[in-house]
Amino acid sequence: MDFAFSSDQQLLKQAARAWLAEHCPSTVVRALWDDARGESETMWKEMARLGWLGLAFPEAEGGSALGMVETAVLLEEMGYAACPGPYLPTVLAGLAIAEAATPAQRSRWLPAIATGQARATVAFLDAPVDWAPEATATRAERVGAGCALTGVKQFVPWAHVADLLLVPARAAEGVSLFLVEPTASGLTFSPLLGMDLGTRWATVRLDRVPVAADAILGEPGQATGRLDWLLRRGAVGAAAEMLGAARRCLDLSVAYAKVREQFGQPIGAFQAIRHKCAEMLLEVENAHAATYYAAWALDAGAEDQDLAPSIAKTYVSEAARRVCGEAIQVHGGIGFTWEYDLHLYMKRAKALEAMYGDAEHHRELIARRVAR
Amino acid sequence: MDLTYSPDDLAFRDATRRWLEANLPRGELKTLEERKAWHRQLYDAGYLGMGWPREYGGQDAGPLRQAIVADEMARVNAPPPINGLGISIVGPTIVVHGTEAQKRRYLRKILTAEELWCQLYSEPNAGSDLASLRTRAEDRGDHVVVNGQKIWTSGGAGADWGLLLARTDPTVPKHKGISCFLLHMRQPGVEVRPLRQITGSAHFSEVFMTDARAEKADLIGRLGQGWEIAQTTLSYERGGNSLARVTRYKAAFHQLVQAAKTLTRGGRPLLDDPLVRSRIGRIYAELEVQRYAALRVLSALDKGESPGPASSITKLSYSEFEKRYHELALEILGPWGQLTAGVPWEFLEIATSSGEPGTWAHAFLWSRAGTIYAGSSEIQKNVIGERVLGLPKEVRADRLKA
Repeated sequence: MDFAFSSDQQLLKQAARAWLAEHCPSTVVRALWDDARGESETMWKEMARLGWLGLAFPEAEGGSALGMVETAVLLEEMGYAACPGPYLPTVLAGLAIAEAATPAQRSRWLPAIATGQARATVAFLDAPVDWAPEATATRAERVGAGCALTGVKQFVPWAHVADLLLVPARAAEGVSLFLVEPTASGLTFSPLLGMDLGTRWATVRLDRVPVAADAILGEPGQATGRLDWLLRRGAVGAAAEMLGAARRCLDLSVAYAKVREQFGQPIGAFQAIRHKCAEMLLEVENAHAATYYAAWALDAGAEDQDLAPSIAKTYVSEAARRVCGEAIQVHGGIGFTWEYDLHLYMKRAKALEAMYGDAEHHRELIARRVAR
Repeated sequence: MDLTYSPDDLAFRDATRRWLEANLPRGELKTLEERKAWHRQLYDAGYLGMGWPREYGGQDAGPLRQAIVADEMARVNAPPPINGLGISIVGPTIVVHGTEAQKRRYLRKILTAEELWCQLYSEPNAGSDLASLRTRAEDRGDHVVVNGQKIWTSGGAGADWGLLLARTDPTVPKHKGISCFLLHMRQPGVEVRPLRQITGSAHFSEVFMTDARAEKADLIGRLGQGWEIAQTTLSYERGGNSLARVTRYKAAFHQLVQAAKTLTRGGRPLLDDPLVRSRIGRIYAELEVQRYAALRVLSALDKGESPGPASSITKLSYSEFEKRYHELALEILGPWGQLTAGVPWEFLEIATSSGEPGTWAHAFLWSRAGTIYAGSSEIQKNVIGERVLGLPKEVRADRLKA
């Protein structure tokens, strides 16, 4: 029984913190916010070199055979830095491929992802933004040996830079998961700009996009289980990133409360501020416990592995919202300026609140499992 | 990270479970003698004072083993040991700060419940500001004479001894003039009056000391060291009970789900109402997060790490959660949640560790105590702010004077 990180996990965390502080300070984040593409090729290649992109892949396919705990460690640090880029969607697509793909699909994509040559994403949502895989509305019609996909996918993370899109679509036999390359005909992308410019989304329109017979991931018509599997990992990944963003907001607030003086003393000396900071720490520590418990449960195949990710997502979504919001309040006016970095982290957490199932979505999943 | 129990711990858990199945008292323990006998039985089986040194009757067991026992007891709603305060607070204080003679004299009788203990800390005018306590202990050579009043004394009515904080030097700053004594409760100068709390029963007492006598040989630590000692006793055992607490919440949760299936609104079970489902999902998430946090603290304690002021986070977290939990329960239960006796359905009976009737109403009322006792939520936030986050201390009137 040990909840603490192993020494290897601790080293990974320290290395990620240090690397991101050097290569992705807020000046870099802000430059990428202003960039049309929104992410950095150099940074991506460096992440590949550090082994971050293939972290969870088998060693034979260029990976490090690590798990969700290590992935969450990295994502927490990316949240702490508000690092822009398609890390989480690429990891999710990679996990699905590593779990369910044919040998040919694996050798086509896993080494490419691990070496930073390919970015990937998952197009979970149709226009009604329903996270239940059963709600998939995009259609797959049989054309010869393959299929043609038609529909509109919304809020596809980093679709404009993806070399591979995992697209759930409904065929006669049920929902299948298709591997779609952006060069296919009938695909159009239009950007959706949210408040976090370090997270880029796109509307992806599919108009009879041809996919070959060998471009289905896993059993045809059986993808809803795989999508649930993937959403649980997305929920934990998002929780980790929100945790990092919240911890950054807490750190900034505590540092500020020690130096900002009003009424002749540091504002941190006032209980009104000190108690807020204490409540923020409580939320962050509980969010840590929720996130890493869920990551561990997935890695260990614990009996509550299907439940713990929902608990993490619902808890951390709300905790991060509170912590980041209170951080602005502790700062006062300066926390409302574009100049001050606080909003970078607050917006990252906000963007992830709505992704991979919001708090309400996961509360319903929890109720289904425990209130029967 | 590895959150599985070792095979040894699993075997220990199973053995504990079997022992409880075989020995759990059938029916309620009514008399003091029955409760003492149950305490003694737990001790003889090796389930009390587990973390104490072997030479004083303990087993040098780690916090995880203690937590497993507490958790298994919660699972079957076993009655708590009657000398709980002696086991969790007084004994460890004597182990850490007591003389050899004090250890020989007192520890074993705590373990066997031959002598029951209470804690004489809070006063009518010294609650959160405990260091301003006014009970005096005047030096008379081989003993001190104690005058003053204590309040919120758990188990005061049955106690043979009390762990007392009293002022021995009024001329020095308030934190430095306090000493810690063991006070015999069965003497003419000590009067114990029951204090009825909002649940209707009297779990606590007021204790009036009029020229009561405490021996100098029963001074714990040095004269003037009392505040420091009190600081350490308040942080004992935060963690050991945390899993057990969650186990009780969970048992109650399943009762609540039963209620939500049975009670209806507009002709449909409450459990079909999306709003109720959302709130049930949310509270269950909070409940589980309490468990994860407990595992985190416990595994650190088991490695010998001291949580120090961070234990304030644990206390703040669970006590505030308990209030939210019981507010929600009473909303779901409607008027059934108000009943204090005579409940018609099994799901209206819940396990408690307070010894009171297991109704939701009692549990709800008790949830108001947790954020006040052992350092209120406001005090915990001060501790977290100052000692964990390193925020500046506030300007305080008593510090200015000192």
